[in-house]
Amino acid sequence: MSLATLTKPWAATSYGFLDASAKRELRRKMLKAVAVPGCQMPYASREVPMARGWGTGGLQVTLTLANPGSVIKVIDQGADDGVNAASIRRFVSSVSGAAQTWDTLDASIIQSRHRIPEEILRENQVLVLQVPDPEPLRDVESNISIARQMHADADYGKLWLTLYEQIVRKGRIMQGASYPALVNGRHVITPSPIPRWDVPKLHMSKHLTILSAGREKRIFAVPPFTRVEPLVFSDRPYLVEDHAGLTCQRSGLSGFFMNELPMDGGGSRFEVSDSNLGIKAIRRTEGEPDGIGDTWYRNGEYSA
Amino acid sequence: MLSVAPPDAAEIRCNAVFEALLWAVSRPGETQLLPAPGMAGIIETLIDLECTAYAEGEELRARLAATGALLTEDIGQAGYVFVDSLMDFEAWLPAVNRGSALYPDVGATLVAAASHGRGSRLRLTGPGIAENRDILIDVPAGFWDLRAQLSAYPEGFDLILVDGASAIAIPRSTHVEVL
Repeated sequence: MSLATLTKPWAATSYGFLDASAKRELRRKMLKAVAVPGCQMPYASREVPMARGWGTGGLQVTLTLANPGSVIKVIDQGADDGVNAASIRRFVSSVSGAAQTWDTLDASIIQSRHRIPEEILRENQVLVLQVPDPEPLRDVESNISIARQMHADADYGKLWLTLYEQIVRKGRIMQGASYPALVNGRHVITPSPIPRWDVPKLHMSKHLTILSAGREKRIFAVPPFTRVEPLVFSDRPYLVEDHAGLTCQRSGLSGFFMNELPMDGGGSRFEVSDSNLGIKAIRRTEGEPDGIGDTWYRNGEYSA
Repeated sequence: MLSVAPPDAAEIRCNAVFEALLWAVSRPGETQLLPAPGMAGIIETLIDLECTAYAEGEELRARLAATGALLTEDIGQAGYVFVDSLMDFEAWLPAVNRGSALYPDVGATLVAAASHGRGSRLRLTGPGIAENRDILIDVPAGFWDLRAQLSAYPEGFDLILVDGASAIAIPRSTHVEVL
């Protein structure tokens, strides 16, 4: 063994920003996370040129997966043109040479903050969700050692209690985003703050979902064709947001998840949250080929 | 503006091996193609000085040692186990680290050579498989029974079976039925 065999030629930067040892660690943990669906795996969470809490977990996963042939889509609350989404997409592309896209159907890796696109993802696509708080038990158990024991025992009674108390106090389940869901019948996850509308899209899906929390240094995954069941009571069915009857003021789309824009005088108007779907619909009204793929929701009903 | 540093040969290999392994674990029983035959690529992609590894065979041990990993003689200490054959599995399989319900991530990854497309017929069910998937794997009789006995999910070990450049993964979440 010589010094030359232990070192590599000098390079100004590493491909994909992260150094080789960071990528190896992430790769090991990602494989473990997929092998035990929904179980939170700790990882080191390296520094990236972005503040923790702005998608560093997702960014590290994307950088580890990316190669020059990848096509990257990044969305922030459904929009490709938000500052956070655009800067992450540009950064990934500039350090990996991966192509950028806004089109869900063209992307090989989709990094997302708080939404899952409305078009059905294919079996060779990876959805990377940025997770602010990966621990579903945090609100009911602040001690992470006890929370770990509760996961080990599959002791999720306190989560059911929270949902029950919401029904008693308000008459319905108030939990909007981060709705707790049971993965593979064993581990409860918080599916990142995606709306209730998006949780069914994880159930028995064709694509792979990786959820990564950079600040909390935990990674977990939902493999394809895995059961993801929101916690519900048998006499209180799971309800998604009541957006089926809303129409987008810009694109004319209806039956999809909408952003509500408050107006002067107290009213509000709505715009479709998946911005690229809206763009495709506007193209369609202008007579161009739209290229809208199959969607999970049809006429406001989940039907995939 | 940053100029893109092109990936070096090692990164291209590791990225391709990782992608194959990630899809293999995501879709248990489905054959994925590694860029080169054998376990060398898997070692290069996953193992470094943060790992404790166990291997049989001088060549594999030398490869693991070159990564800086801690080579152990005690299979129970290893996070990554590389074996050329599953023939005498009764002797060592019960000792493989299966983690605990508290720390499922400690459970080992077992990389073994096994012929695909012949041997016993298995029916796989579980995450990553739409209904069920039937595969042929040349693994000695009794291995799957012992695996089921040893693993109380989420405890268990994750299996990667390598045949030349083909890899099939059977993670602990997969239920194996011998037909």
